[in-house]
Amino acid sequence: MDVVFEQYFDFGLMRDEFGFVLDGFWETLQLSLVSGVLALLWGLILALLRQLPGRRFAPVRALTIAYVDVFRGVPLLLVVLIISGSLPFVAEGIGLPQSIGIPQWFGKPDPFWYGAMAITLTYGAYMAEVYRAGIEGVPRGQMEAARALGMSHGRAMRHVIVPQAVRRVIPPLLNDYIALMKDTSLVGVIALLEVVEAGRTVQAETLNSSALTLGALMFLVVTLPLARIVDRYIAREQGRFQRGLVPA
Amino acid sequence: MSDPMLELHGVHKRFGTLEVLRGIDLMVRKGAVVCVLGPSGSGKSTLLRCINLLEPPDAGRIVLEGEEITAGADHGERVDFVRRRVGMVFQQFNLFPHKSALENVSLAQEKVLGRSREEATSKARELLDRVGLSDKTSEYPERLSGGQQQRVAIARALAMDPHVMLFDEVTSALDPELIKEVLDVVRELAEEGMTMVVVTHEIGFARDVASHVVFMDEGVIVEEGPVRRVIDAPREERTKQFLGLVLEH
Repeated sequence: MDVVFEQYFDFGLMRDEFGFVLDGFWETLQLSLVSGVLALLWGLILALLRQLPGRRFAPVRALTIAYVDVFRGVPLLLVVLIISGSLPFVAEGIGLPQSIGIPQWFGKPDPFWYGAMAITLTYGAYMAEVYRAGIEGVPRGQMEAARALGMSHGRAMRHVIVPQAVRRVIPPLLNDYIALMKDTSLVGVIALLEVVEAGRTVQAETLNSSALTLGALMFLVVTLPLARIVDRYIAREQGRFQRGLVPA
Repeated sequence: MSDPMLELHGVHKRFGTLEVLRGIDLMVRKGAVVCVLGPSGSGKSTLLRCINLLEPPDAGRIVLEGEEITAGADHGERVDFVRRRVGMVFQQFNLFPHKSALENVSLAQEKVLGRSREEATSKARELLDRVGLSDKTSEYPERLSGGQQQRVAIARALAMDPHVMLFDEVTSALDPELIKEVLDVVRELAEEGMTMVVVTHEIGFARDVASHVVFMDEGVIVEEGPVRRVIDAPREERTKQFLGLVLEH
């Protein structure tokens, strides 16, 4: 059993590489925060586009549905690869400035931004579905009451429907966010030195996995509290529901 | 006789193959209180929803204060015209659960009429006071009884200064002991001269406040006229049957 302990829990190695792995985790955190916020926004935009009323907006709705289907249906790794591999050429080909083809905004390297784009595109699709469930779960009478008071569809969405929908979907959104955070590790394949890539580098040099274990622990420090928050929130809402304070 | 507030001519509405309204002709004069009676599924609610264009009619004309609202190029503009003049109160209250009673009443004033926060809030307070809820302004709907919620909903509709109020079975979802407090508010409005179309199952209430009673069945108006005529001395067999069933209880 000693070999198991030594391979995964070599505390000396963890101590030596702690700074290096932590730098990687810091990169992971930044990427997950930036792409998480962008995906939350993009998902909401997609969900709202999908709810536009009337025949006039049928093409918009159809396009949105197609988009969501496609991005839910292909692996994030693939999206990461096709963006990082071809965006520089595509941007140059259609005459966009190099700062878009090879983005290095806010001092972050281009793999960071390719990763943020890929995660936003993919997780935006997932989150759009979550928002949709929330929006469609708001009783029809809410929209009718808002419209009867003279609000436009957009105003009713903004002031009446979306605030209620978002509350209902905070737990699934947080779950998606946890998944997103873990999936930032896929951006390691395009040479972003995030926590998994950092651990892998140490593993390749030392033939020991303890730096990866350390990375896992760092993940858990963030994801476990998040999971607890989700549970708490659900339990609280459940309580309200059971006491009959919220209409079914 | 006062001028017509609302005229319906041959209004039809179908949902799929189901014809819910089959040619409704109705005139509502300014200051009139029109009570619409009839069995479930007779099209009463749909009639109200057509009047404020929540359900656009398939055929026929609706004229509100002399303006035809069922025709014309700009649908959006007509909808605005109608909703600024017509207030509606629903069976299920439909208060905004994430807003306090006060915010429920002030929200649309600010967002639709462009009133300032102060103006909207003071109007909301005044109206909540009028429906007897001055001590509940900061409560959220989940903490209010059904009767209180419905009174907030009435205040919310009144805040938009409507010319006509539509009441869609506003006491049907209430416990019996809460019905009166809501009907009293509606009655008071009637006495103040508000033009109203009231869909209700409360025959006694209709008898008290209606200036005109309409009995509907299967998407048509079977009989209409003053209370004395329609409720006390119905001519049509279907009206007699319905009133007989309701009044037995």
